[in-house]
Amino acid sequence: MNVQTRAIEVTRYSPERDKEPYLQRYDVPFDESTSILDALNYIKEHIDATLSYRWSCRMAICGSCGVMVNGIPKLGCKDFLRLYDHTPETPIRIEPLAHFSVERDLIVNMDEFLTHLEAVKPYIIGDNVDTASLPAEASLQSPAQLSRYQQFANCINCGLCYAACPQFGLNPEFVGPGAIALAHRYNLDSRDHGKTERMPLLNSKNGVWSCTFVGFCSDVCPKGVDPAAAVNQGKVDSAKSMLIQLFKGSQLQGEHQ
Amino acid sequence: MSYKTSLSGSWWRKHRFFKLYMLREATVLPLAFLLCSLLAGVFSLQDAERFAQWQSFMGNPLIVAVHLIALLASLYHAFTFFQLFPRVMPIRLGDKTLPAQWLVAAQWLAVVVIIAIVLWVVSGGEP
Ligand code: SF4
Ligand code: FES
Repeated sequence: MNVQTRAIEVTRYSPERDKEPYLQRYDVPFDESTSILDALNYIKEHIDATLSYRWSCRMAICGSCGVMVNGIPKLGCKDFLRLYDHTPETPIRIEPLAHFSVERDLIVNMDEFLTHLEAVKPYIIGDNVDTASLPAEASLQSPAQLSRYQQFANCINCGLCYAACPQFGLNPEFVGPGAIALAHRYNLDSRDHGKTERMPLLNSKNGVWSCTFVGFCSDVCPKGVDPAAAVNQGKVDSAKSMLIQLFKGSQLQGEHQ
Repeated sequence: MSYKTSLSGSWWRKHRFFKLYMLREATVLPLAFLLCSLLAGVFSLQDAERFAQWQSFMGNPLIVAVHLIALLASLYHAFTFFQLFPRVMPIRLGDKTLPAQWLVAAQWLAVVVIIAIVLWVVSGGEP
């Protein structure tokens, strides 16, 4: 059988050895079903065992296999060699996710994203009642209530949206699409009471207003979360919350007089 | 030690998506020019001679061309804005979200209605 091969360029970087990353070329066999991740696995098993990259589920669930493929953020397990040109002269270029620092080869340090994620309190915040003593109905949710946030709950924390966002690229302090989408997801949850705790960060300079609706984050998101919609719905929320603050502030002043 | 690249000034030239974004943002330039022209017109109302000067300035083919570009730019900006609107302000009726195309269509309808009203007023209110 005639096996087709495809040329691939992969970023290599070893902090002990290299001053800066460089590209290394490999030829890998491929058919209709070969994913980018399969190609990397092939390289590691058959050509070069030193290649480092992340993966786990190989089914677009764990969110760990994000890489840049020809400059676009993709999940390695959800992107296929057959989708790219077939000439040996134009290798498919696989690079680490943009806007993050590179630890080794295709592995990036995601700490910035994870810090932002933690900062938006992505969990249900009760109203300090003892939930154990509540009747079970207190946490029931209707399909209509679920549908308000369901789309934003599909995020797998892959970070592709951060690699797509020029505002995050320019300012890593920007809370960013994925984390804001999750903040919005909990703000929209009928069981949550934490919106007032999340709004100060979203209202801040590095919150929703750092976004200029480039919208590429939503284009690259592998789970259809539409983080750009979440961020910009967040702007509407933020404007409301700031108006309320303003009103309350002037009321407080009024009381002091 | 990890390696960090910084975003170069030409980041937006790397993808069609970013170029369209820059085009959308750049529509503000001809619109700002139009706004300045109109402001100049308001100030020129102070005396007849300056108003005549302003009128001949506005009649200059080059200026007309720039203003035509401003019209196209504002239509393009409106197009992008109307597309994004249903994502930013989804309208829910009961359990359902209104289909995005309806909102886009409603916005264009509003544009047509407003243009019709403006034309009607400018033409002296004749039916
Ligand atoms: S919003 Fe989409 S692209 Fe961003 S982290 Fe979540 S799943 Fe990934
Ligand atoms: S390996 Fe889990 S998302 Fe790709």
